[in-house]
Amino acid sequence: MFIGQDITRVDALDKVLGTAAFAHDLKKNNMLFACVVRSSRPHALIRKIDVSAARALEGVVTILSHEDIPGENLFGAIKKDQPFLAAGRVRYKGEAILVVVAATEETAQRASDLVRIEYEDLENISDPFLSIQSPVLIHDGGNLLSHRKLVKGDAAKGFESSDVIVENTYSTTWIDHAYMETEAGLGYLDDRGRVVVASSTQNIHYKMKEISRLLAIPPEDVRVVQATTGGGFGGKLDVTVEGYLALAVWHTKRPVFMRYTREESLLAQTKRHPLYIVYKTGARMDGSLTAVEVNIVGDTGPYNSYGETVCLRAAVHATGPYEVPNVLVNSRMFYTNNPVSGAMRGFGVPQLALAHESQLDEIAGLIGMDPLDIRMKNALKRGSLTATSQVLNYSAGLLETLKAVEPFWRERRKEGPGSGFGLGCMYYGIGNTGISNPSSCYLTLTPEGRVEMHSGVCDIGQGSDTALLQILCDALGMEEMGIDLVRGDTDTSWDAGSTSASRQTYISGMAVCNAAQKLKKYLKEAGYYDGKPLKDIYSDAPDGSVPIFEGHFDPPTTAPDPETSQGSPYATYAFATHMTEIDVDEVTGVCKVVRVHAAHDVGRAINVSNVKGQIYGGVAMGIGLALMEEFIPGKSESFDNYYLPTSMDMPEVEAMIVEDREPTGPFGAKGVGEPALIPQAAAIVNAIHDGTGIWMRQLPCDIERLKLALEKNKENK
Amino acid sequence: MLPKFASVIARTKDEALSWLSSLENPKIIAGGTDLMVKMRAGKHYSHVIDVAGIPELLTMTEKDGRISIGPAMTHARLSAEASIVRSARSLALACGLVGSPQIRNMGTIGGNLGNASPAADSIPPLLIHDAVLTLESRDASRKVPLEEAIVAPYVTSIDGKELIGSIEISPLRGYREGYRRVAKRATWAISRLGVAFAIREEDGRFTDARLAIGSCTPMPFRAKKVEVLLKGAPKNEATISEAIRMALEEMKLISGIRPSYAYKLPVLQGILEEVLRG
Amino acid sequence: MKTIRFVLNGKETSIEVEDNETLLYALRERLGITSVKEGCGIGECGTCTVLVDDEPHYSCLTLASKANGRDIKTVEYLSSSGVLHPLQEAFIRSGAVQCGYCTPGMLLSAYSLLLRNADPDAHDIKEAISGNLCRCTGYIQIEEAIKNAAEICKCHSQD
Repeated sequence: MFIGQDITRVDALDKVLGTAAFAHDLKKNNMLFACVVRSSRPHALIRKIDVSAARALEGVVTILSHEDIPGENLFGAIKKDQPFLAAGRVRYKGEAILVVVAATEETAQRASDLVRIEYEDLENISDPFLSIQSPVLIHDGGNLLSHRKLVKGDAAKGFESSDVIVENTYSTTWIDHAYMETEAGLGYLDDRGRVVVASSTQNIHYKMKEISRLLAIPPEDVRVVQATTGGGFGGKLDVTVEGYLALAVWHTKRPVFMRYTREESLLAQTKRHPLYIVYKTGARMDGSLTAVEVNIVGDTGPYNSYGETVCLRAAVHATGPYEVPNVLVNSRMFYTNNPVSGAMRGFGVPQLALAHESQLDEIAGLIGMDPLDIRMKNALKRGSLTATSQVLNYSAGLLETLKAVEPFWRERRKEGPGSGFGLGCMYYGIGNTGISNPSSCYLTLTPEGRVEMHSGVCDIGQGSDTALLQILCDALGMEEMGIDLVRGDTDTSWDAGSTSASRQTYISGMAVCNAAQKLKKYLKEAGYYDGKPLKDIYSDAPDGSVPIFEGHFDPPTTAPDPETSQGSPYATYAFATHMTEIDVDEVTGVCKVVRVHAAHDVGRAINVSNVKGQIYGGVAMGIGLALMEEFIPGKSESFDNYYLPTSMDMPEVEAMIVEDREPTGPFGAKGVGEPALIPQAAAIVNAIHDGTGIWMRQLPCDIERLKLALEKNKENK
Repeated sequence: MLPKFASVIARTKDEALSWLSSLENPKIIAGGTDLMVKMRAGKHYSHVIDVAGIPELLTMTEKDGRISIGPAMTHARLSAEASIVRSARSLALACGLVGSPQIRNMGTIGGNLGNASPAADSIPPLLIHDAVLTLESRDASRKVPLEEAIVAPYVTSIDGKELIGSIEISPLRGYREGYRRVAKRATWAISRLGVAFAIREEDGRFTDARLAIGSCTPMPFRAKKVEVLLKGAPKNEATISEAIRMALEEMKLISGIRPSYAYKLPVLQGILEEVLRG
Repeated sequence: MKTIRFVLNGKETSIEVEDNETLLYALRERLGITSVKEGCGIGECGTCTVLVDDEPHYSCLTLASKANGRDIKTVEYLSSSGVLHPLQEAFIRSGAVQCGYCTPGMLLSAYSLLLRNADPDAHDIKEAISGNLCRCTGYIQIEEAIKNAAEICKCHSQD
């Protein structure tokens, strides 16, 4: 039995030896170097581009613009609205305009500095609240990217029947993914003249399709390979270097390498959506929630990226993991000329969690109810109706996660004047919201008697390669040694969908189970389970060949109703509770996170160590989101002032795994990647309130904001 | 890639001074933790003179009641050096808080001074220890008190042909001494505020008090007026309040009211209360 | 160009470097040691960590010329005997490796700690890796691995 065991991660050895080939480490003989010339203006027409001085530099091979694109210039994960290379207009500072290709990286960068661009500035739309007023349209369709409405019951009536109503505004800002490995890749033509791109990425088949569109060549003539990827967190879902590399290779016919500097990654890459959330909650004196009304305004930057997805997820998850009979949510994403907001771990839900968890604590305080009790009272459970009126038929372990932290919660004792305890709960739909997001894989048998699993899943460090192997081993009843993983290459795998939405264990895991079922049947008939070796099964195969065994899975969901968002947007949900203890130094405003108890209903932990690893990492990212991370355009230029938590910022963490088995998941598993982060910042904010009496409604709650709030609080007393 | 420059490694102080005098557009490099960042951002020098290995700059001696610190001594070394821990505790603590372990292994105290950041952690402790720099050039040598050597944020009066030969401080024994600083995360962050203090009390009076504050004014400053007030004063709430009021006034006199003061003044007040109350 | 001579992972090495070259560049580009990473270029992430005379330094902020006459170690040194070092084994066992980009630097900071302090407590361990950022793991399993490795190394040194 491999499920539930801490099987050594399959990629760990290469990583501790330092031999793992990250995109930054890739090389080919005769390779050229590319770099991008980027806009210095937030919104402008490009009047003139002078590359003469750049071209004249010795070692410069070519300088490419949108005019050199044989196919489509526009790309995008949801809507094709973002140019690979700006065509006469730029919409954010850092937007790509040209690709310089040269013999050395230094030459490419120097040439890039010699390019002269004349801009004619357009209105810089920097306020999402005013964006809709501007006569200047960032895109032809207007400055509203998306508006999602969620209507359940009658919120107005719900508030009428409330005993208490609490209304507050919350806000969060841009956050950078800050993976340790910046974007990078290597492109080349193979001996058949196909374009090959190896990169640091969270998906391969999607990028293959974009490159195919870019170059107007069939997808079969493109191959995308995932290099060992040093972190993603949603930032490597969009096309990053892949398009530029493909274009450069196409024109030069030589291998081309490119990597982003950290400054470039911070400047040009997508960020977490800033969300402004006006949240109104109604409840009765017994603690039951009666109504929730939420207005969300998001700054999506100038391009869609994953803006529509965040818009919808934020709306669907706005109530938090609670049964609320009356819900009204308006979630709007506006275009601006600010940084592009895109996918980042949680897709809007960490921001909403800040709101729904603070609201609940405030209600609890008003009616004199313990924060744990009010959560238990309203918790979604099996048979509950979600905000989209989906009935939770199966795995819904929120109560179990609350019970897991309960003993620690009941025993909590304040250690000093700034000591506080807070709870944060969450639920998160696994997989893409209300749309088809299938995963496919296939299994083969080799002449040597090995099973090969062909997986298009991009492991970005979270451990999907290992988890899928464990799932396959158990599905086949086989020893691990007998299975080889063939992965990360569009040539040898099928589309498993992106590594996002915490979906790979659940969806690709089920695809693997699906394939395994077929292979198992074949092996049974061939006598494997009676002792016949695989090698012999292969050589004795009828017609001289063993078939391939396909696996597919697409979680059953329904598209949300366009007016009310009602429906079944996910096939399963993860649930979690984080209990956090903090200690605020009232002199300095420093908030130390002392201890976290994090309980997660993951359905089934395929690999306990890796699940815990995700939880610990999520806690760290939550501490960053709550207390120190703030991307300030124009100011946050590198890690010298964009602060990530260090080892010294981490508390003790107890990760507790709850397994409310999901029957539609592989051996009961759901997902944990994003859930690990989602409730953490919310729990810290609640703990700060417990410790100081202050509601911090804007993130980050850094030392200065907290101290100023403490001072104001003193004055008010 | 860094801008092009020629580098030389000086084996002795004389070699370094000779090069400083004769080479075009020279710049000293010790640990490199500040200079490398500047050069990566485009700052250009024709010649870089590496002084990190010069034995005379790496030694510490005690003579005539003064401790002489070699400017090439790293923060890591100084934070652990027994005589510094014993007689200049605030300096040892401050050096132990600079950057990260790697930065402390590389960065030197001379480099920290030469960079003259308003937030440099080593400067307030050096100020309360009456630090005097010996500035040497090929043909001359002069002594400059530290507070005179730093003239503006990131600007010193050290001439381009001069090298810090040594940093002399007075040891303080029998003081309650320390360094407090506040930053946006637990470590590896620029100090938003730093306070070096050394206080002596006897029979309910402050017999001597030294106080220097960093990151609040263009250059770290020693609160001399406050020190005068405290010396000999009774240790009570009235004295402490007055001392704090004076420290904040002195700061406002130097810098005016900066936006960051909304945060820094109350924090400083709280820290000074803790420091003076002991 | 100048010639620098130093001990690299236990072997005498000599290469030619430019005056304005970083040790990071020299290791990766001239010596092909790609285990040393670039994550930020300004000494703010730790992925470029190498040991200079057994002390962790940021190679992105170190001029290559400074390596002259020094002992330089990269993560390859840990397994130079042909087997995994207890730290590497512990990292694998404890789940301390996720994306792996910070791993070589972390291992070196940890190795340096164990050379200085055979019995580090939790705070010593936290501090030893406080100059190495990790975005994936939250550090906890890394710290567990280092503690476990310290136990094993102590046993070895008592043999």
